[in-house]
Formats: sequence, C-alpha cells, structure tokens
Amino acid sequence: MTDFTIVLRSLSLRRFSTTVTVTMVAVSVALLLVLLAMRDAGRAAFRRGTGNAHLLVSADTSPLVAVLNGMFYANAPSQPIDWAAYMKIREAFPWSWTIPTQLGDSFRGSPVMATSKEFFTNFEPVLGQPWTFVAGKGFEAPYEAVVGAEAARLHGLKVGSELVLAHGVGTASGEAAHEHEDHPVEVVGILAPTGSAHDRAIFTSLETGWCVHAEESRLKEAAAANPGEDDHGHLHVDPEDLRDSEKLITGILLRVPTRPGEQVSSALPVAFDLLRRQFPFTVAQPAQQVGRLFEIVSGVDTLFIAMAVAVMVAGALSLMLALYNSMDLRRRQVAILRVLGASQGRVFGLVLAESAIIGLLGSGLGIALAAVFGTVASAELQRRVGLVIDPTMDLRTIVLCTAAATFLACAAGIVPALRAYRTAVVQGLRPLG
Amino acid sequence: MNALSITGLELARPGGFRLSVPSLSLAQGEQALLVAPSGGGKSTLLHLVAGLEDPDAGSIAVADMPISSLRGAARDAFRGASIGMVFQTFNLLHGFSAIENLMVAMMFSSVPAATHESRARALLGELGIERPEQAVETMSVGQQQRVAVARALACRPTLVLADEPTASLDPANAATAIGLLQRACRDHGAALLCTSHDPTLRAHFSRVIDLGTTEAAR
Repeated sequence: MTDFTIVLRSLSLRRFSTTVTVTMVAVSVALLLVLLAMRDAGRAAFRRGTGNAHLLVSADTSPLVAVLNGMFYANAPSQPIDWAAYMKIREAFPWSWTIPTQLGDSFRGSPVMATSKEFFTNFEPVLGQPWTFVAGKGFEAPYEAVVGAEAARLHGLKVGSELVLAHGVGTASGEAAHEHEDHPVEVVGILAPTGSAHDRAIFTSLETGWCVHAEESRLKEAAAANPGEDDHGHLHVDPEDLRDSEKLITGILLRVPTRPGEQVSSALPVAFDLLRRQFPFTVAQPAQQVGRLFEIVSGVDTLFIAMAVAVMVAGALSLMLALYNSMDLRRRQVAILRVLGASQGRVFGLVLAESAIIGLLGSGLGIALAAVFGTVASAELQRRVGLVIDPTMDLRTIVLCTAAATFLACAAGIVPALRAYRTAVVQGLRPLG
Repeated sequence: MNALSITGLELARPGGFRLSVPSLSLAQGEQALLVAPSGGGKSTLLHLVAGLEDPDAGSIAVADMPISSLRGAARDAFRGASIGMVFQTFNLLHGFSAIENLMVAMMFSSVPAATHESRARALLGELGIERPEQAVETMSVGQQQRVAVARALACRPTLVLADEPTASLDPANAATAIGLLQRACRDHGAALLCTSHDPTLRAHFSRVIDLGTTEAAR
C-alpha cells in the first residue's frame, strides 16, 4: 500500500467525475497540440514547396501572388510571358539553371504544369531531395505526362493511363473547364511523394501545352476567316510548326550559381535587382514570400493559440471545481486518514497528486486525440485545398504541453488540497445524517 | 508506564459545555468503560486523548508521551503508531478491501512495510474475516466491526479508544461485539477505553468511569 494506491483508489471511486475532468484536460491539450502541429506542419509544407529555386519570375501582380500561383498552384497566372522574354532573361545572367513553366490547364481539378525536362533534373521540390520516380520516367515527347504522387492516388493514374486535359483550372467535377479531348496525354511516370504542393500536380512538356492551344486557336482563326466552312477539325500542329507568339509561358524558376553544398549566394541580390530593373515582370524570392505569408497569418495564428490556451485554463478551472466539490464527499476519507496518522501535509500532497494524475492522464489522452485529429485535419486540408502537410507533433511540443497541462492541473488542485488540509477531523468523523 | 494519564483536564465551549477531568489513568492493558449522560463529553474526551482536539488546560499522556504537547505531524504520527480507534459507524475507507484498510493504517506507522500484508492477514484471520480482499462496503455490519477492531490493533497500539462501538447493534450482538473487542485488545496487550450509553455493557468491564465523578476515579 502506497500513497499512489490511495490516490488511484480515490480517483476510481469518483469515476464519473474523474472521466469528465480527464476528458476536459484531454480536449484542451489535443486542441493546443493540433493547432501547434498544424501551424508547424503548414509552415514546413510551404517551405518545402519552394524547393531550391532562388527566384520566380511571373507576370502576376505581386510577388506573393506569383509564388502562391507558380509554386503552390493556387490559381493559373492571368498574364503570360512570351518566349522571347524568357530567352532574354536566360541570357541576362549566368544562371545555374532556368526552368520555364506554364500553368492554366487541369485534369479533374488537379493543376497541370507544362515545363521543361530540367524541372525533373535541376529543380528539387524539397531542398536536398531531388525528384524520384516510383514508376516510369520523365516525359521525352509531346503528349506525355508525369504525375505527382497525390494526383496519381486521387485519380487512380498509373503508367500508361490516358488523360484528357482541360483548359482552365476548373474543379474536381470538371466545372468551367474546356477539355482538350482530341489530345489525350499518356502517363509515362509517377513521382514519389515530396510532401509539397507539387504532389497534387500533373506535368507535361511545354510543347504539349503549346501544340494543343495552338491547334485550338488556329481552328478558331480558320472558323472566323471562313465562317461558311463546317470542317476545321483536322488541323494538326507539330512543335516545329509553332509560331513564337504561340510559345507562351506563365513563370520562370531560376537559380543563381552557389558553392557546392550551399543554398545561398551573394549573387542573388544582384540577379534580383537586374531582373527588376530590366524586365517588366514580377520577381519573387519564394522563401522570402513564404516568410511574408507567415507574417500575414501570424495574427490569426496567435489568436488560435490564445484560444487553445484559454480552453486549457478553462479545463483547469473545471478540474479545480470538480475536486473542490468532491472534498465535501471526501471529508470523511480525509478525517479517517488523519485519525490513522496521516499528517496535514500528506493529505495535501495526496489531493495534489490526484490533480497531477488527472493532468497527466488528460495529457496522454490529449496526445492520442491530437494524433487522430491531426491525421483527419491533414487529410481534409489536402482534400479541400491541396496542402500536403505532415501532422506529426514534435517531441518538444508534446513535452511542453504535457508539462503545462500537469502544472495547470496541480495549480488547480491547490485550493481543494488546502481544503483537505484544513478539514476538521472531528467534524469529518461524525456519523452522516 | 501508564497507557493513559490525564491530569487537570479542562475544556469549555461556547454554549455552556464544560468538561473537567481532574485525574484519570489507565494502566497498561487495562480496560475501562467510560459512561456519562448523552452530551456529557464522552466522545470529546476520546478526541482529546487522541489529540484530535486540544484542551484548554491540563495534560494528557499516552504511554507516558504528553500527546497534548505534541504538534502537527509529530502528533499525527504518534496517534497513528500508539492509538487505535473504533467508531460507532466504523469509519472504514470505502473503495478499499478489508486488508487494504489495515495496510493503510500501517502506512503511517513505524511497522516495517514488508510485514504489513502478513500482519493484516493474520489479524483479520484472528477476528474471523475469511475474505480479506472483500471490499468493506459489501460486508455485513458484524464483519465491518471486526475489520474496524483489526484496524485499531494493526499498529500494535498502547491504547484503543472505542467510541460507542455497539450503538448500532442489538443487545445480543452488542455483547458479542464488546466481547470480541475486549478479547482482541487483551490478546494484543492494548489498554481499552470504551464509551457507551448502554447500561448492559457495565457488566463486561471491571472498571467503569463515570465522567460525572472522575475526581473519584483512580
């Protein structure tokens, strides 16, 4: 028989009250953990998505919008960049690499990015982690596609599957998207998951996008020029037939040279200034813009954390109330323990230990709940906004939350413990009624 | 060494209650019945002896230790080790088994922890408790009383204080219960001070102390 046995027995005697208070602590701990984990995971997901690109050039109106559109597939950029401008940018600086991208098409709500082969050889979606294929390989020819891990899972795509791309971002149900049904695209590669927004995208060559759009625009031109003719449906455009005006892109990913193994370069500010001075486009440093995004949302972030802490404090107050009220019922138990030789300090410690155990049990249950909530919320975020986040809670956060919950529980136990400390033994021993 | 020595005890409470015990002592192993009219201070005297209340004046010594001069945890520890108490309503710890009730009592004493279980089991066996693991709240009144007596003796006390231990029993069972309590105290060498308003119990004690005439007591 130990003090711990007495504490456990006392908790089990008041099973309902114990369960309710443990649940309250658990819910508040889970809420706090989920919010912290989601915040950290969300930040990590955004940071991962920018990969090893130093700069992004786009015709979007602001750097933040350029990054959200060009790297996180929020929307298709509204203004194009022509190929000649791309070539000038390419020649303007001794870049480590440049990768043109074009957004605007989609497949059942998943964004389609047309790009060059270098996207898979030079661009790393996550710093230090190049692309890897779980099946197939990169595209080699027009009308071939490589599919991100999440897009492949979502649409059940495999190597050999055929896709009919749609013009416009559209939605999963195909709403407001015009389909390029004459040009099915064959899946030639499936990418491994990266934990970034790229996982939900589909990639084709620039030529695929250009040819499809060129055919459509030329058909429209022909129909406009000869309104009497019905059949314009057999026009075919090969990559070599493309006019310069049909070679449009919506973004350029750039990287300045760095020393081996390093990510930063003193050349970056120079390249950044050069692009801003010489070209009429928006130039963004993706990592910096992601940092800015966090600054914008940090107020909301703080509000959520404050709410979670308030819930935790409310849980502690409920615990105090439950324990305080239970002291009426436990007056006799405390009096008996005192008669048997327990000191006031020991009785105080027993009640405080009960609070601590409720705090610890609540924290444990809260961590389990948070793991479940986190997984569900992560899946829901991925389904609704395509943000791929890893809801894993870091050990430091778990330890801190557990310590905070236990500390609050102990603090909540002080008043009831004092009441036990002051219990008049003689009154407690009197027969009830 | 006396099991109990009281000298010049005075206690007054608002409302006119007064308790005065000029002198009272119990020898080691001695058994006495304390009688007084209802409200005459029997229970209060037991609480004073147990150190649960403080007198206005006078001294109380148990096993020659002046418990009334001990304070705080020292008094609690001394009570746990030297005084056993049996109550009218038993005051057993609900949610605990019979054996656990005894082991909780020994937790606060100097009885070596390794011997707690064996001693508790032996005591309960002596007092006829066949299922020591049974929760006390599921036991009959008679069984609960036996557990209460066993608990009072668990720490090898010098003195057992029994406050109206037979008040809730019919006369036949009261006689059996008082016999059990007396025998157990005798077997374990503990002095017994028992309060009761039941006149039939007088026959069981060789010494009866009437609180109204304590000056005449030894």
